[in-house]
Amino acid sequence: MFRVASDTLNSRVPAGPLEQKWDKHRFNLKLVNPANKRKYSVIVVGTGLAGGSAAASLGELGYSVKAFCFQDSPRRAHSIAAQGGINAAKNYPNDGDSIWRLFYDTIKGGDYRAREANVYRLAQVANNIIDQCVAQGVPFAREYGGTLANRSFGGAQLSRTFYCRGQTGQQLLLGAYQALMRQVSTGRVKMFARREMLELIVSNGAARGIVVRNLENGKLEVHTADAVVLCTGGYGNVYYLSTNAKGCNVTASWRCHRRGAYFANPCYTQIHPTCIPVSGDYQSKLTLMSESLRNDGRVWVPKNKGDHRAPGQIPDEERDYYLERRYPSFGNLAPRDISSRAAKERTDAGYGVGESGLAVFLDFRDAIARDGEDVVRKKYGNLFHMYEKITAENPYKVPMRIYPAVHYTMGGLWVDYNLMSNLPGLYVLGEANFSDHGANRLGASALMQGLSDGYFVIPYTIGDYLAGAKHGKLAEDAPECRAALQDAEARITKLLSVNGRRTVDSFHRELGLLMWDYCGMARTKSGLEATIPRIRALREEFWTNVRVPGESGTLNQSLEKAGRVADFMEFAELLAVDALHRNESCGGHFREEYQTEDGEAARDDENYSYVAAWEFQGAGNEPVLHREPLVFENVKPSTRSYK
Amino acid sequence: MSSDTLNLTLRVWRQAGPDKPGGFCDYQLDGVSTHMSFLEMLDVLNEKLIAAGDEPVAFDHDCREGICGMCSLMINGQAHGPDRGTTTCQLHMRRFASGETITIEPWRATPFPVVRDLVVNRSAFDRIIQSGGFVSVNTGNAPDGNSVPVPGNRQEVAMDAAACIGCGACVAACKNASAMLFVSAKVSQLSILPQGQPERSARVLGMVAQMDKEGFGSCTNTSECEAACPAEVSVSHIARLNREYMKALVFADR
Amino acid sequence: MNALLRILGLPACFLAMIPGMAPVVRALSSSVGQKLLMAASGLSLVGFLVVHLAGNLQLYAGEDVFNAYAAKLHSLGPILGIAEVGLFGMFALHIGLAVSTAAMNRTARGSAYAMKQTKQGLFVLPAGGASNWMMVTGILIFIFLVSHILDMKLKKGFGVDYSAALDASGEATNSFQAVKAVLQHPAHSVLYIVCIIALGIHLSHGIRSALQTFGLHHRNWNFIFRWSGFLLAWAIAGGFISVVVWAMAAKNS
Repeated sequence: MFRVASDTLNSRVPAGPLEQKWDKHRFNLKLVNPANKRKYSVIVVGTGLAGGSAAASLGELGYSVKAFCFQDSPRRAHSIAAQGGINAAKNYPNDGDSIWRLFYDTIKGGDYRAREANVYRLAQVANNIIDQCVAQGVPFAREYGGTLANRSFGGAQLSRTFYCRGQTGQQLLLGAYQALMRQVSTGRVKMFARREMLELIVSNGAARGIVVRNLENGKLEVHTADAVVLCTGGYGNVYYLSTNAKGCNVTASWRCHRRGAYFANPCYTQIHPTCIPVSGDYQSKLTLMSESLRNDGRVWVPKNKGDHRAPGQIPDEERDYYLERRYPSFGNLAPRDISSRAAKERTDAGYGVGESGLAVFLDFRDAIARDGEDVVRKKYGNLFHMYEKITAENPYKVPMRIYPAVHYTMGGLWVDYNLMSNLPGLYVLGEANFSDHGANRLGASALMQGLSDGYFVIPYTIGDYLAGAKHGKLAEDAPECRAALQDAEARITKLLSVNGRRTVDSFHRELGLLMWDYCGMARTKSGLEATIPRIRALREEFWTNVRVPGESGTLNQSLEKAGRVADFMEFAELLAVDALHRNESCGGHFREEYQTEDGEAARDDENYSYVAAWEFQGAGNEPVLHREPLVFENVKPSTRSYK
Repeated sequence: MSSDTLNLTLRVWRQAGPDKPGGFCDYQLDGVSTHMSFLEMLDVLNEKLIAAGDEPVAFDHDCREGICGMCSLMINGQAHGPDRGTTTCQLHMRRFASGETITIEPWRATPFPVVRDLVVNRSAFDRIIQSGGFVSVNTGNAPDGNSVPVPGNRQEVAMDAAACIGCGACVAACKNASAMLFVSAKVSQLSILPQGQPERSARVLGMVAQMDKEGFGSCTNTSECEAACPAEVSVSHIARLNREYMKALVFADR
Repeated sequence: MNALLRILGLPACFLAMIPGMAPVVRALSSSVGQKLLMAASGLSLVGFLVVHLAGNLQLYAGEDVFNAYAAKLHSLGPILGIAEVGLFGMFALHIGLAVSTAAMNRTARGSAYAMKQTKQGLFVLPAGGASNWMMVTGILIFIFLVSHILDMKLKKGFGVDYSAALDASGEATNSFQAVKAVLQHPAHSVLYIVCIIALGIHLSHGIRSALQTFGLHHRNWNFIFRWSGFLLAWAIAGGFISVVVWAMAAKNS
């Protein structure tokens, strides 16, 4: 299935006490003279929280930046859909928070599969992020006196989450977008919207450029630079149905992987517990209801199987508030992976509600009785509104029905402490990298990581690389550029020429279902072993039977989708291989063979306390596993308990 | 209980490219589930078209949960369809009746040229933001978040304006194709917050100038934009923009 | 369309040549600036209408009172002349801006929708509906204006018999009788009523819209802004119509 390399990956984590690593490292990084910065060019792919903030910050420093996104405007990146909030250990509520506690919670939440030094740095710069965003005019919720408000979130026992109603991601992204637009107006950043990255250009072993397709007119373009920063998000859409935007894809990451970048921990996928259940086979995506709802909503199913009474008629003693029962200290605020699995456990056992039986109740009856409908409306009005729009049910009157859905992917391209991949000059930021969340991400941490990488890490670490890079300018018609361009062209031609009978979406749907059933919330050895050949067979059918109408010289959304699904087909196999190789359960990766007596994830620290970084060997060929051992100098891995 | 499926006639604007002529095509689509979203209904139409050897209808969409602002569509002459405070992706087919003919057009405005079918180019909005819709604060320059208090109720008003998703429905619905609601939302948000004060005058003058340059129409205060806005941004922000503009005219230093 | 806009922009170009005026002209020729001028000229014309109506209502006090008022007005001499020039200036500005913004708006839309519906409820129609008729009602008001000047100022109303208003020298100086003569002419009375209704519609949107353009918008006061504009509009229109009705009734009795 795979080969193991004998080397160990060097994470380049600096030595010294945890608290001083980042400061000392920043001192040791080489600097680029302010007057010389404009001579260096940087390509930033993706304009979400990580990409937008990186492009803006690098522009502010004076680098010549080119930024790319596949949407019609950088403001549409899917970071915009994050609802709940962003963590920072400001300790404004005076409830005992500290950088150390945020670090500890994140490491523990990630089930001890993240790098200590990265996570500590994340906790350190989180405070700066809040300050920066406030200064940009992000309208964070405030108390009446004018100070910043906080709320609590899953996986934490204190209030450290800053928020803008249910639209925190939107407001943070618009802050970064506006900073980016300011740089565009100064000319330091050139913005290329509606461009999809199709190839990475590698020259002398270093990442030097990209090939993009202009989605409006189909023209392929070559862009070269001194470094490439990839901020292209996660791969949740490999499951077809997820809370990701329709356009989210793995293509940019996968193209880099094919050119030599290692892909780390692809099996760490996060299933979010509070999404609106699937209603039919035409369904195109799933909608997340913010986790913040679990602050006041209580999760339950009937105690009796097949209890089809209206929820309001089921008395309390016949309700099973299973999260409160199993996890008395965290209750409804248990971390995402645990809540999701608990829901799956109940529905698998036949206690699910709704027509499909694949749902549980999230009930606000008690909160409304306690605080009144107005208070609940003020906190969650937009979410209730959204729920009612989609389901035509009024959640003030009847409990919401929710079910877990694929939401976030902790895996991604492998990066070192400087966020550089194993390919020199290729940096990977945000959800696209693997770095900070280990095997499970806590709520309100994705926004924190994206912005930390973009605003406060890459501006320092990229200078170190550029100052040392002595390569000259790479011409856009250099042989390696032409080769990459031809590869991209050939793929497009091939996709258009298959002219089979099935649509791209039908393949994507089938792949997604396969992944969800065998590589989703719970995985088994036998299931995964059976799935891998099926993925290969589906991939083969795709390349012989897909129908991509239209031509390449115009806006062609079928062609865009086809390219993305083709890459998902290759990537899905790696995800399954990674899940099969990791003989333990940790965070979002749950292997049914490895669980404790009461159904909790059983980690194997002795054999699997490492990052699995995969090297590409050609589609269908056995990938090579490189390992980066995880060293815990400051927190001792223990069994995660939220009881 | 009403029937769960609909039979519909769709009148869809088809246009092969920016400089190509466009026109309506009629499609019959039967068995549409009332639980589908409007865009899922179009997905079904496209699957059918591809199977029949035709080219699918191009339309913009991404998050499909009403926040990215990518989806558009004039549905029976209404931006984002008949519901208020709703984007097309959140509109569900239960809102329509079987046998109905649904006319689907792209946003129409000279600054939003059609790219293909129902897809338009909204980069004019980006250029308006570039002309002042930001606070000039470099990364690393920020004081502590609590150093400047913002009264809770002021912040709420700023958030009301900041909720704009930049979809362009205001332009599409306005009889003059005016972008005043979009521009005013950003001007208003940043003029309320203390962080926006230093550039207050330059911002409103710059953004209005760019709005005019892009070729949007002028505001006739009909409030149609407010009714069409999926984020329910109020025309009170247009009034604030007007105040800001007058103030900047009279008092701006330069 | 562009040529039209260029011609309409000529006065602004000339104005900008006056030293020190260029920045002001530039600021006021933006879309928002034009709306501000539109609102300012519109509201000053409303002010004129209020004064005019106050004068007209003196018809009810009888022939002597009204004629004395008219005589006093005429005795103002040059001041009246200046006021009239200002008034015509306001009309010209208002109409010029209306045509220029209408042209701009038409260009901004480009090709029209095959289907277009409002998303506003019927309750806003007092103002929202009227806004769709500003150009049509504006044209009617302009026609009325021309006819009204011919009728009342130049005493050359088409088909009107001014004999009752003549003085010894054969000039129609008896304003009271002249008004009655015009308003008792059936075609004129119909035209006047139709056009004054158009005026009511025009103002019912115009006044509120002008307040919004000047930034008067507040949750606590919007109700008052909206309805005071609406009521003032129809009070003015109603006042003028009452005069026409009064004159017609006087003829029949």
